[in-house]
This record gives sequence, structure tokens and C-alpha cells, in this order.
Amino acid sequence: MIRLAWRNLQRNAARTWLTAGGIGFSVLLVSFAMSLQSGSYEIMIDAATRYFTGHAQISEKSYIDQPRLDRTLQNVQALQTELSAIEGLTVFPRVQAFAVVSMEEKSLGGMVVGVDFDAERQHLDIYDNVIEGDVPRQADQAMIGVSMARNLGAAVGDELVVLGSGKQGAVAAAIFVISGIVETGQTALDRTLVFAPIGGVAEAFYLHDEAHMLLLMVDDLSQLNAIAAQIEPLLSERLTLQTWQQLMPLIEQSIEMDKAGGYLFFSLLLILVTFAVVNTFVMVLYERTREFGLFMALGMRPWQVIGQVQFEALLLSSLGVALGLGLSYPLISYLTSVGIPLDQMGGEEAIQQMQMGAMDRIYPKATLTSLATAPLVMMIGTQLAALVSTVRVRGINPVTALRAE
Amino acid sequence: MTDSEQNSSTTAPVVACQGVQRIYQQDTVPVYALRGADLTINAGEFVSLAGPSGSGKSTLLNVIGGLDGFDAGSVVVGGVDLGGLNAAELAEMRLRNVGFVFQAYNLIPVLTARENVEFILQLQGTPNQERRERADAALQRLGLGDLGDRRPGELSGGQQQRVAIARAIVTEPVLLLADEPTANLDSKTTEELLGLLRDLNPQQGMTIVTATHDPIVMGYTSRQVAMLDGEIHQDSASAD
Ligand SMILES: Nc1ncnc2c1ncn2[C@@H]1O[C@H](COP(=O)(O)OP(=O)(O)O)[C@@H](O)[C@H]1O
Ligand SMILES: [Mg+2]
Repeated sequence: MIRLAWRNLQRNAARTWLTAGGIGFSVLLVSFAMSLQSGSYEIMIDAATRYFTGHAQISEKSYIDQPRLDRTLQNVQALQTELSAIEGLTVFPRVQAFAVVSMEEKSLGGMVVGVDFDAERQHLDIYDNVIEGDVPRQADQAMIGVSMARNLGAAVGDELVVLGSGKQGAVAAAIFVISGIVETGQTALDRTLVFAPIGGVAEAFYLHDEAHMLLLMVDDLSQLNAIAAQIEPLLSERLTLQTWQQLMPLIEQSIEMDKAGGYLFFSLLLILVTFAVVNTFVMVLYERTREFGLFMALGMRPWQVIGQVQFEALLLSSLGVALGLGLSYPLISYLTSVGIPLDQMGGEEAIQQMQMGAMDRIYPKATLTSLATAPLVMMIGTQLAALVSTVRVRGINPVTALRAE
Repeated sequence: MTDSEQNSSTTAPVVACQGVQRIYQQDTVPVYALRGADLTINAGEFVSLAGPSGSGKSTLLNVIGGLDGFDAGSVVVGGVDLGGLNAAELAEMRLRNVGFVFQAYNLIPVLTARENVEFILQLQGTPNQERRERADAALQRLGLGDLGDRRPGELSGGQQQRVAIARAIVTEPVLLLADEPTANLDSKTTEELLGLLRDLNPQQGMTIVTATHDPIVMGYTSRQVAMLDGEIHQDSASAD
């Protein structure tokens, strides 16, 4: 039966190759496009989370809606130690406080963020955008956004006074020397951010072993949910873990939109090819009515004839899929290692929109979904196409089929 | 087949048709292809079915072979009343009990001669090894021992028809039905083919019915039946 199926495909080799080529081409296109998509999402998520926000954050539940100074995580050291036992996870504490930032006569509202520079630098990209000076190295140094520097008329080396209200309403005051100026490209950040070493900020605002958030970075983003599930039981009632999807809902939404658009396009393509396959099998039935009549005259049952054609369909789609994946897999693998330069794809604008310098190349990523979806759809489609076009063999009357010369 | 069926087929006639009618509806006009044909054929007979074109030869063969239905009368083949069988049972009967040879050789073009013969054994579910042996033996019988690996397109008309006969007899059917098997062959090839058919006849006790116009064919058969207008017109077995 396999032999018969294979020989029948060879009988009209041109059509077989054309149909298999169509299947192959659509598999190539769709699997490549889907890999490119998943690669670009990965980069997009990576770039966005790596900038400043992190892959996930742990904070006090009520802090999310109303970030008040006293809504802190307690016993941060102990929690950090517990979390450090989890494989593939890095944790940084941050404290944040609203304050009035002034230099000489000028004052502005700002957000003082206390960070562990040495640790964060290794993982986050915002520190690559220091345009003047350097990140703070000492407890009394600070780095400010470029717009704030302009508005205050401040430069590296100038002194900055920070005044706010500490815990339990006490006045918090600190003086920082500007060690660097950062330009994130996001006006809201550039105008308000004051980065200072976490120790100094915590002390100024009377916070002891406390933080407003723990920023989480994972080594492998696909493990994020698994790691989050590991963390969840370690957190007390009052605390909550938000992943990047919750922290940056717009990114997730735009990815979902893009995916939906992609699926629409892919479905159209696959449906189109499936119709071409239907056409092929309608032709097969038309050309071989006599042969099928003979099969039945010899005692074959209609379902056996249908089975035979199903077999041919399976061979045909396997051929097409092998062709498509045979081309797309090496291509994807190659491009995964070298990347596709974005400026050749008119991606300059996209880079600017996302405020990322690091994303000049896009790397397609072969996932099970991106590689298996098109083959699976095409194979099922081909079987169905063959089925709908050959159910009509049941209507073939062997006597009339054989009579027709 | 059970033993009792086999026994009855040696005593009872292989084919018993009585008052068989087959009416085709052509654009609402009824065409009487068979209008009450009576025919009884005993085991081992080699019968020619002659008659002008349109006299109903093919229709009668198809009805006897369970390929076509009928509208009145009764058809009993190998002791089984075909009137009571459904499509699946008729297909099964064709597969097990009847060998068909058509005018246009009707081989499967993509398969070799041997594969064409094996094809029907495969439908019967015969295991690989046995299938091959039996196919080779059938081809050998028809003098095609060396040509098993050729495709139909690489064979002459006479050779193709011999492959078709090999395919028809490889299952050792009770009944071999041939519809103008030599119509496309020259007289020399026709004689060769009929010689082979005639030899099959006593060797296997195979009952053969062949439709034909050709006097040469009739000369080879043991009994000549003539049809006219869908009825049996003359029969050498009942001739005076
Ligand atoms: N499928 C059919 N539809 C309509 N008429 C048919 C059909 N098959 C056979 N006939 C008619 O039945 C008659 C007998 O045909 P057939 O058995 O083929 O005769 P023969 O084989 O002796 O030439 C003819 O008149 C033919 O036109
Ligand atoms: Mg005829």
C-alpha cells in the first residue's frame, strides 16, 4: 500500500512537487515567521525588563496602589537569604521615597531611589546610559536624570539637598554629591530620578532592614513562572509578587496583539494552501475514477479506497513538511547564532520607541510551537482535504466507471 | 467457504439465473438491458456468451459477478442468492469467489505485473511470502515468468491481458468472468490466450464465462450461448 501510494505520487511528479512545494513553502514561511516573532518578543521583553523594572518584583500589597514610605518589606536580609537558595535567581532590594530635591535656590519634586549599584549594574541596562560622570561609588554620592540636572542647573560635583518625610513623620534630610548624570530617554524618569546607594537612602529615611521592593532577575525567562511558584510560599500574607506581565501590561498587550495579527496571517496562508491541496485531490479523484472503479470491482470497499488516498496524502504532506522544515530549521538555527541586523529592517524607529540601545540585532528563536504549528496544521489540513475530496468515491459505480473509456 | 458449501458447488450449478431483468433509467426512459434471462452453468464449463453489441452480454456478466444489481428474477452463484446480499457482502463475494477480466486490461499502471497480481491477494490479507509465491506461480502459468517486474506500459496488449488473467485466477475463484477479453488483440494472440484459458479450465475445474463477438473464441469454448435483446437466444447445451 505504501508502495502504491508512493508510485502514485511519482505518477504525476510535477503536481506532487508543486503541492509538496506549496506545503513546504508555507511551512517554511510560517515556522520562520513564528520563530522570528518569538525571538523578537523575547528580545522585547528582555530589553524592557532589563532596563529598570526587572523580571518581577516583590512588594507590600498596598504599596502597589499607594507607594507610601512606611509600606515596606521587613526583615529584608532574611528574605534575601532565603531567596538566594533558588537556582537561577538574582535579587536586589530597592528603597524609594518622594522628596524635595534642591540645589541653591532651586527646588524640585523628585523620587529618590536607593539601589545596590554594584549588583544592579551587572543586570540592568539603565546604568549604561550614564552620559556624564559615573554611578555613585560612595554613600554620599548620587546620580540624577538629565532633565533634573538641566532644571536645577546642576553638574557633576555639585551638592544636592534632599528633604523628605521619614518613617513616623520624622524629617529626613541628606546631602549628596552628584557623581553622574543619566539619560534614559523617558522624560518622566529623567526629570525625577535620583539614584543613590541604598544604605545612605535607607538611613536618611529611617528604614532599618527594610525595602520597598525586591527586584527579581532570572537567568532564563522561560523559567520565570516556575521560579515565581517557588517564591510564592515564602512570602507572608502582606507581600505579593508581580511578574513583568503585571508590571508592564502594555508590553504584554502589544505582544498579544502582534501574535493575534500573526495568527490571522498564518491562518490565511495555511487555509490558502489547504485549498490548493483540496484541488490536487479533486484532480486525483477525477483522473482516477476508473482506477478506483477497478479497485471496487475487484472487491475493495470504498473506505479502503479512501484509506489508500489518505495514505498518499500523508506521504505528500510529510514530503512537504520535510521540505519546509529542512529549509527553515537550518536557516533559523543560523540566524539564531548570527542574528538579523535591525537597521536593515527599518527597525531604527522601534529601537527608539523602546529606549534601548542594546537591541540592534534580532535573533529568531525556534520553539516547539513555532516549529510544530505549521507542520501540524498542514498535515491535518492535507488529510482533511484528501478526505473531503475522496468521500465521493462512495458514489462511484464500478460498472459505469469501467465502462467509461 | 465452509465444507458444505464446497460440496454443494460441485453438485449444484455454479451459476443459476432465472428471469433476470436489468432496467437502466436513461433520461427517464427505461432501457431494458436484460429482459428475463435464464441461464444455468455447471462447474467446469467453458461458456462463450455471444451476441450483437447492446444485447446485454456485459450486463449479464456484471450481474452474475455481483458487480451490478438486477431488478427482477434470481441469481444464485456458488449456492449463494445474490439478491440477498448488501454492498459489503457483494464486494466480499467478488474478492473471494469471482475473477474478472475486462476488455481494456485494467491493470494498475503504477504497479509491476507481479504487484498487480499480488494486489488482490493483499486485499484478501494473504501474508507477504505466500503472496509473492502465488503471484509468481500464476504468472508462470500464463507464460509470464520473466516479465513480473515490468509495468503494464512496458508490456504488449496480449501480455497485459495475460497479467489480468493471472490476477483473476490467483485467488482460485469459483468463477472466471471475461468480458470480450480478446477484443483488442490480434488473432494469433487471441488464440494463444484462449489456449491458456482452456487449459486452466480442466486443471483447476474453474468455470469460465466469456463474452465475445469473435467466432475464434467460440471455437475454443465447450458451450456457446447467444444473446439477443437482453434474452438468451440460443444455447448449444440445449440445442436440438
Ligand atoms: N449504465 C447504463 N445506463 C444506461 N444504459 C445502459 C447502461 N449499461 C448498459 N446499458 C444499456 O443496456 C444495454 C445492454 O448493454 P451491454 O450489457 O453493455 O451490452 P453488450 O455488452 O452486449 O454490448 C445496451 O442497450 C446499453 O446501452
Ligand atoms: Mg459489452
